[in-house]
Amino acid sequence: MGQEIQLIEQIVDRYDSEVGMLIPMMQDLQAKCGYLPTEHIRTLAKTLNVPLSRLYSVATFYSSFRLAPKGAHEVTLCMGTVCYLKGAPNISEAICKEFRVEPGGTTRDRLFSFQAFNCVGACALAPVMIVDGKYYDAVTPQSALEIIHELSPADETVDAAKKEDSA
Amino acid sequence: MISAGTKLTSPADLESFAKKLRSSEDKASRSVRVCIGTGCAAKGSRRLYELFVEAAEQSAQDVTIEAKHVGCHGFCERGPIVVIQPGDIFYQSVEEPDVPEIFRETILGGRVIQRLLYEDPSTGKKAKKAEQIPFYNVQHRIVLANNGIIDPTQISDYIKIGGYAALAKVLTSMTPDQVIEEITKSGLRGRGGGGFPTGLKWRAARDANGGPKYVIANGDEGDPGAFMDRSLMEGSPSSVIEGLTICAYAIGSSQGYIYVRNEYPLAVKHLSLAIDSAREVGLLGNDILDSGFTFDITINRGAGAFVCGEETALMASLEGSTGEPRPKYILPVERGLWSKPSIINNVETLANVPPIIVNGADWFTSLGTDKSKGTKIFSLVGKIKNTGLVEVPMGISLRRIIDEIGGGIRDGKKFKAVQTGGPSGGCIPAEQLDARVDFEELTKLGSMMGSGGMIVMDEDTCMVRLAKYFTDFLQKESCGKCTPCREGLAQMLYILDRITDGEGQVGDVQRLEELAELLEGTALCALGKTAANPVLSTIRYFHDEYDAHILQKRCPAKECRGLFRYEIDAEACKACGICLKECPVGAITGEKEVPHVIDQDKCTLCGTCWDKCPFTAVKKV
Amino acid sequence: MPTVTIDGCKVEVERGATVLDAAKKAGIWLPTLCYHPAISTGGSCRICMVELDRGDWRQLITACNYPVRQDIIVYVSSERAQNARRGVMELLLARSPESEELKALAERMGVKDTRYPTVTESQRNCILCGLCVQVCEEIIGKAAISFASRGVDKTVAAPFRQPSEDCIGCGACAAVCPVGTIKVRIHKDTQEVEISPFKSRAKLLVCKECGEPIVSAQVAEQALNRLDFDIEEFRELIQLCPKCRQRKTVASFETANLKLNNMAYK
Repeated sequence: MGQEIQLIEQIVDRYDSEVGMLIPMMQDLQAKCGYLPTEHIRTLAKTLNVPLSRLYSVATFYSSFRLAPKGAHEVTLCMGTVCYLKGAPNISEAICKEFRVEPGGTTRDRLFSFQAFNCVGACALAPVMIVDGKYYDAVTPQSALEIIHELSPADETVDAAKKEDSA
Repeated sequence: MISAGTKLTSPADLESFAKKLRSSEDKASRSVRVCIGTGCAAKGSRRLYELFVEAAEQSAQDVTIEAKHVGCHGFCERGPIVVIQPGDIFYQSVEEPDVPEIFRETILGGRVIQRLLYEDPSTGKKAKKAEQIPFYNVQHRIVLANNGIIDPTQISDYIKIGGYAALAKVLTSMTPDQVIEEITKSGLRGRGGGGFPTGLKWRAARDANGGPKYVIANGDEGDPGAFMDRSLMEGSPSSVIEGLTICAYAIGSSQGYIYVRNEYPLAVKHLSLAIDSAREVGLLGNDILDSGFTFDITINRGAGAFVCGEETALMASLEGSTGEPRPKYILPVERGLWSKPSIINNVETLANVPPIIVNGADWFTSLGTDKSKGTKIFSLVGKIKNTGLVEVPMGISLRRIIDEIGGGIRDGKKFKAVQTGGPSGGCIPAEQLDARVDFEELTKLGSMMGSGGMIVMDEDTCMVRLAKYFTDFLQKESCGKCTPCREGLAQMLYILDRITDGEGQVGDVQRLEELAELLEGTALCALGKTAANPVLSTIRYFHDEYDAHILQKRCPAKECRGLFRYEIDAEACKACGICLKECPVGAITGEKEVPHVIDQDKCTLCGTCWDKCPFTAVKKV
Repeated sequence: MPTVTIDGCKVEVERGATVLDAAKKAGIWLPTLCYHPAISTGGSCRICMVELDRGDWRQLITACNYPVRQDIIVYVSSERAQNARRGVMELLLARSPESEELKALAERMGVKDTRYPTVTESQRNCILCGLCVQVCEEIIGKAAISFASRGVDKTVAAPFRQPSEDCIGCGACAAVCPVGTIKVRIHKDTQEVEISPFKSRAKLLVCKECGEPIVSAQVAEQALNRLDFDIEEFRELIQLCPKCRQRKTVASFETANLKLNNMAYK
């Protein structure tokens, strides 16, 4: 319980409690926790003396913020114009079908979170897929599935799925 | 390298420091520059750099070899790129096994490895130096001049080639008014999309009442297909910082921000390093170079919203709010960030400022056209042979860019159109290729310069589907504040979905045009106002494709599933039977040695046969 | 003071007043939805579009927030302005097909129907004008609700889509909603007031005498806290419903030990 207060105070201090730096604060929080936990957001609102509703607005407005835990791995597919022209929608479809996940969501076994970005600026390498920060170029539906299938399952993933089943 | 404790406390300090760096250059007689921009790094160039450093250190030879990592050259498709001095030898698609050979043959032996040189796809000619490659030699690099030459993580590299000389000149011999006059005379216009005269903007901010005043560099390059700002921020971050500092001096600001897209982590890293270094040596902070001018910069990252490239939305984001644009009846130069006078300039615009100050406004006006001066960086991508970043003088024809620099369409296909200006722009067809590229020309053609994206399409691109792609993109990125953008885009997408699904109705095109006019007139911000451009320009130049989709339920480019047929080419068919087996409705008949045939009445146009045929005998008609 | 020539009619307004102020002064009606005189934001619904004369071209602007700083010429009844307003209304009617208030406004504007189907469903019948959000933040000071998500997914919601802990059940959001989407529901059985669609519930103060619900307890508390004095009588009276309060007041006159002076009114 007290942990989150400590973390929040640390983050708020880092930016001198400047409300204008709210987004960097939330980015730091997400970098630490993997997502934006509800209690941490509540504490941040209290600490900054900003209405909780405002933080919720900001958290849900920007695509990069997550309000739910993410998967063990992060798979990002670029859907920029050039990648699109080179077949990114087919790759996306293949991934969604194979792993039963939607863009913006996480697979049930929490193996990976799947995101579609609007252009990562590597257009000459289209279609581009980024897995855990590593860039893959000239991806095809087949090669994309292969890359993801090779991801090591996180230890927690099995337990997480079990918990969800009993919930 | 800057030694700890180096402090430049006057312009004279800076000059002597630069001189010292330049004279020590001769010590290293050989150098190898490895690009570690995001494009080449994605192909493993960082490892190449490490290997070269190792090789240089372990070399028993008595020549000093400098291994340096540099920023994006703009030719990402041919990466990783490695350049060897002396000789400016340009190697492309370098892989790890090549490193020992390059080291032995080229760096030590001065011999060129032919297979690593660029080969012109049309003539087969090899190019030893970058300037021999048409992709580069038609370019005129001002903003990207440092990319590929300097190590972006070392401020000393930037100073060595003349960096911060412009700032020194401004602080010693120019008043803020003189700086504004010079920029105004140069005719520099915003490079982010608006094309607004930079000098006028600075003048208005200077004259505005109230304070403190803020300067903001917009590095939120959101247009899909555009990556010039990324390359600039990664490859020469100090150019942006110097430009921003000069802007701050001109309008009287002491606090600056650089807003960078979250999706550009390397750019954020290099900019941060450059700012830290500038602070360390005294080029940022209190009393810069003993001038009495104080200025510092904070970096803010975006959080995933294309709309934050719009200046008022960006400012809202900097205020810790959602990125919703605000009315501009009172301009940001008067009431901007925190309701104070603020300047927002795109990073490319700012990077033009130091060269203009050093070389003079007249030098800048000698390039470009009447109303569009200087150069512009375009990202030339898509179905073209040479993809990458090109910096060319304004006024060059589209044809030259696509044919000479780009090398023409790949895979022997035909050019169909080039999309400029991203989602706010439009497509330009083959008939208009002789148009000269500048702000006014592109707008006249129904598109716009935008941030500089140039996406080339060939005959296999369905223009209706493309319009749908952009509309969908904008709908996802719309902030949702104003009715016309939020509801209007949804209505447009609904119609485009129907059309590409084969359910278009007569009157759909007219409905789209009505919505486009409504958006343009009533939307709150530039995103909404220009959102219908992709639809309008495709209707303008490719009306026949809309007609085919709506009236004949046919997609001429054969992209929209269900709107074209599949036929088996009897000559190519090897009668292997795979398609017959895979067809979910049993529409294919055939036997061994007999070319298979698709029964068009049974066919559901699912495309499975086309996917599965190992001999590409199934054709789209 | 700058002059606004609006549809030919010249009116003078304070510098900084809006074109809408000028229109009101000139007696010219303009539809508004997201504009409210007590609230600082506006200009998002785009229903009040008018044309501004810019010499060689005309610019469409929103009247409710365009500041007048010099003499300007404005057209309300021009074809382009009317078409713009009509177009916006048609989009809104598609979004909020069940709002009677919106249909009435459309009629007043001369817009009978909409050519568009309903394609956005994130919060049916809500036009996302933001008045509820702003009144809760600016005037009530609670900021219990806000916008969530963006674009076509945008909605007005309480944090984490849970019933808001900050909501005091005052119903100001319902009062200010221009399309009647927000509703206040009294639950007599649980003695709660509910604001839909936000699912917030607040305990009601019920009459000590007859048990009728009066007002949200927190609203009563807030009202009392705003007084800088404390009177026992007030605290008593607030626990009675209007009827019982009236009865009590009348009764107090009857039992008062006062001499009735016959005063002759000359």
